[in-house]
Amino acid sequence: MKTYLEQVLAPRIQGDGGWVEYESEEGDQLTLIFRGECSKCHMLDRCTAWMESRILGDTGRTIHIRSIRRKPFFWDNN
Amino acid sequence: MAHVEVVRRSMRPEEWTALRFSWLKRGVIEDREEILTWRIQDARQTGEQSYEFSDGPERDLRRGDLYFTPDGTAFIRAEARLPERFKGRKVYLHLHTAAEMIVKINGRYVGGLDPNRDRVLLNGYVDQDHLRIEIEAYNRSKPDDERNPEVMAVRGCRQVFEGGYLVILRENVLSLLYDYTLLMDIAQSGYFNEDYRHFLFTELSRALDRIDFDTWEGVDDAAAYVEKVIYANTDFRGSGDVALVGHSHLDIAYYWRRIHAVQKNARTILIQLRLMDQYPEFRYTHTQAYTYETLEKYYPELFEELKQRIREGRFEPVGAMYVEPDCNIPAAESLIRQFLYGQHFFRRAFGKTIDNAWLPDVFGNSWIMPQILKKCGVDYFVSNKMSTWNDTNRFPHNNFLWKGIDGSTVYACVPPTHFITWNMPSQIQENWEAYQDKETGGQTLSMYGYGDGGSGVTEEMLELARRFSKVSVMPKTELTGGAEFLHRNLKDNPNLSTWDGELYLEMHRGTFTTKSNLKKLNRMLEFRLREAELRAALAAWSGEAYPAEELRDCWKKLLLNQFHDILPGSHIHPVYQDAMADYAEIGSRLNVLLSGEGTELRFNSLPFPRVLPSFIPEENGPVTRNGETGYWSRPAMEGLASGEVPPLPARPGWCRITPAEDGSLRVTTPHYILTLLPDGSFASLLDPALNREWVKAGCGFNRLHIWADHPGMYDAWDILPNYRDVEIPLTVSTPLANTYLDESSAEFSVTLSAERNRWTVIIRLFADSRGIEVEHRCDWQEKHRLAKVNFGVNVLTRELVCDTSAGFIRRPLTKNTSWEQARFEVCHHKWFDLSETGAGLAVLNQGKYGVGLEGEEVSLSLLRSTIRPDILSDVGTHSISYLILPHEGDAPSAGINNLAYDYNVPLLRGNPRIPEEWRRFLCGSGCWLQSLKLSEDGRLLVLRLSEQNGARRKLIFPAPVRLLNMLEDDQGEILTAECRPFEILTVGIPLA
Repeated sequence: MKTYLEQVLAPRIQGDGGWVEYESEEGDQLTLIFRGECSKCHMLDRCTAWMESRILGDTGRTIHIRSIRRKPFFWDNN
Repeated sequence: MAHVEVVRRSMRPEEWTALRFSWLKRGVIEDREEILTWRIQDARQTGEQSYEFSDGPERDLRRGDLYFTPDGTAFIRAEARLPERFKGRKVYLHLHTAAEMIVKINGRYVGGLDPNRDRVLLNGYVDQDHLRIEIEAYNRSKPDDERNPEVMAVRGCRQVFEGGYLVILRENVLSLLYDYTLLMDIAQSGYFNEDYRHFLFTELSRALDRIDFDTWEGVDDAAAYVEKVIYANTDFRGSGDVALVGHSHLDIAYYWRRIHAVQKNARTILIQLRLMDQYPEFRYTHTQAYTYETLEKYYPELFEELKQRIREGRFEPVGAMYVEPDCNIPAAESLIRQFLYGQHFFRRAFGKTIDNAWLPDVFGNSWIMPQILKKCGVDYFVSNKMSTWNDTNRFPHNNFLWKGIDGSTVYACVPPTHFITWNMPSQIQENWEAYQDKETGGQTLSMYGYGDGGSGVTEEMLELARRFSKVSVMPKTELTGGAEFLHRNLKDNPNLSTWDGELYLEMHRGTFTTKSNLKKLNRMLEFRLREAELRAALAAWSGEAYPAEELRDCWKKLLLNQFHDILPGSHIHPVYQDAMADYAEIGSRLNVLLSGEGTELRFNSLPFPRVLPSFIPEENGPVTRNGETGYWSRPAMEGLASGEVPPLPARPGWCRITPAEDGSLRVTTPHYILTLLPDGSFASLLDPALNREWVKAGCGFNRLHIWADHPGMYDAWDILPNYRDVEIPLTVSTPLANTYLDESSAEFSVTLSAERNRWTVIIRLFADSRGIEVEHRCDWQEKHRLAKVNFGVNVLTRELVCDTSAGFIRRPLTKNTSWEQARFEVCHHKWFDLSETGAGLAVLNQGKYGVGLEGEEVSLSLLRSTIRPDILSDVGTHSISYLILPHEGDAPSAGINNLAYDYNVPLLRGNPRIPEEWRRFLCGSGCWLQSLKLSEDGRLLVLRLSEQNGARRKLIFPAPVRLLNMLEDDQGEILTAECRPFEILTVGIPLA
């Protein structure tokens, strides 16, 4: 899953100024860290839903993504 | 006494007016027919015109559906029929989106949609009732929106489709909406007269009282009231004269890859062409020959339409350069090539030589530019950031003369306000009020139009412009072109002030350092290109074929990557990957041209003998440097000649090393007595020949520092003046030790570490050279750190002399004024020098640009680790080299500039031949042989010489030559030339 994430999904996220990293996997839950533009995106859930559907389509696995946002300090003001 | 604050919770009259103004927007659409046949194919762009379709098959797209995927392009289509009730009316396709869309209907480009416009007019472009709609859409644009910053929160990678419609409008409501957009902006702006604003609020409310917002009756009556009462009022007077120039700043790469700029550019041009169809008074300026090239290549139909508008004088190519490059880091020859290839494109495509440089967004401008501009047919220079982004001082001019390093002067405009505006009265008034040359400069320049895929000018901007003359408090305005503005106000204007110096931007000082690899490879490839061209030109002199297209392609790829958000490092990670791939490709192609097959001899392409030890890569060589094994040589070859590269001569016993109890090493060489501390810094550098100590007491010398580096939002761009507040301590993991010693050179190595970085610092001493090389091998996994190496030099001087790539600039080390204080980090090229009468010390680098001016010490900036826009900026391993060179005399008399070329230009295999009389001439000219190439028309060898020591020289050529400008235009025959200090001279040698 980590390799799949890095090779297939992460470049797509990077293309929009976002960033995603594999954190852990437990059962059907995949925990990912989001940085960059993703860290402050109000609609990140839409992207994680798309990622889940891509993972299902490409690997046949049904997973649920838990997203952890890591805002850079200059956006972390609330 | 009690304090009671009276808070008004009821609606103010002004708010009632503003509320009804917003209702006008609702009334614009009179009737609409939803299109229900939308189909979408998600894609991802992989090349300038190639896509992958891995997100599933084409599917239906209904209102409320999510559309677009991350990094997504979408191909959207629909079939529709024009409703009977719309026939004979103006019909629009209406689609509200945050994406950027090119719309074709029945095979014809009808317009564009983006966050700044949600409809395209069909009349005049579609002549059938049946509509076949095709949309190419790119989602995501800039990470910010100047006009509506709050909307960025809801512009993610996946959008909700809000439907697409055929609509007809209430044209009278739309017209009144524009009236109110204009007048409400004035009423709400503090830039205008308070009494007039009060008058406006009163009368705007009275006009709106005439409208029934359910039936839209009374709109004409309200418009008539506005005309009669507000526009006709002349009791209040404004002043000023503002030229309005439409444009769309386009970053070739930034938060998107350069492949996306192809479509961004096409969309922008399409939209402007469609506006020209509707607004005959509209003129538009557009920069960057590269963008026109891609339009010609991929959108020939639009390109033909564009050419017609250019012939009419309404669409105006400006800028003259291939792209809008960074103007600090590229060397002089790169800047010249930006103009050469840019201007040659404009001449070929449009029959025009552009006489202005248009660089609104670049991060400061080198002092070498005026001469290059002048000799590239460019008399006018425009760049915005010094006026609007300086963090310390207000740049004192807007319309002025800019004098360059060699004394060349160009007309310059630094407009008073930002280059992205939406033509609001308040922005125009702000521009006028900020204009500092009201009495001498003529009109002030206000650029309007959205940038970066926002697609430039909008209908609203032009509708407002039609109304400006009706408003008595506004400055006089005029829609004009870039060149016309410059010619009218600057040309032959005897009252302009002169700025003699670099145009330093007091911001973005980190861009001299961010993304170290890009800078290093750019420097290396600039010299490789010089060498490849020079050798090919010498071969052509002997009648061999010249690989003109291959060299031009390599140059253009390098120039593209010198764009001002690529080379400076201010971009997302995929842009960095693209640039590195481009650099690898250029390197491979040049390696083919520079293979030097069939000889073991090395060619010295410098027009003077080599002096410094040269590192010669060799498998199994005894020394490892920058990841390569090899050996040190001091080749005994003349300038522009080939020869063997024997190892440095053996000097048995040349180096004595005495460890001290405190861990330092005392090292005695034929040139110095050094005391090296365990961390690799120098406690002492005694110079017996010059009878002096070079290390300033109490300062670090060659001392590595890691600083906490938190510049904020402009992370990749900025270094703040307080960056030295927090130092991250370095630990000596392996103390300094002698790690290599032979009969000609020695190495001393130390390993340092701090947090997530680890350094091996190697100090190299030579028996036969006064140069002391330092190599840093670094594993850098940091975030928000800045690495610098400091030099406290025992020299009494108030100035730092810095290489600019075409001469040197003296920068004050004093901090007496705010101007000096603001220049705490500057850009240099191959060397900097600190000298006093009789002697000095230079530091020569390979691929570094940032220098810190810190009072008692000077620092060379090595690495940063910013996280915006690229999380991984500079993360990885690096090898960084510089040469410490104490010398007699000052920098020019010590030949530091030549030594810096010696240090940067490797000796490569080859044995090209050059006519001996020309070799003697070039080696004796005292000028740097900057370029030797075949002319673009293939008829001459173009020789470019650059005087870089500030001396006046007389050149007597071996044979008559053609004097050329930098565009290779013939200026007549000469046999001799006087070369002014810092002049760059171009001549053509006729080929037999």
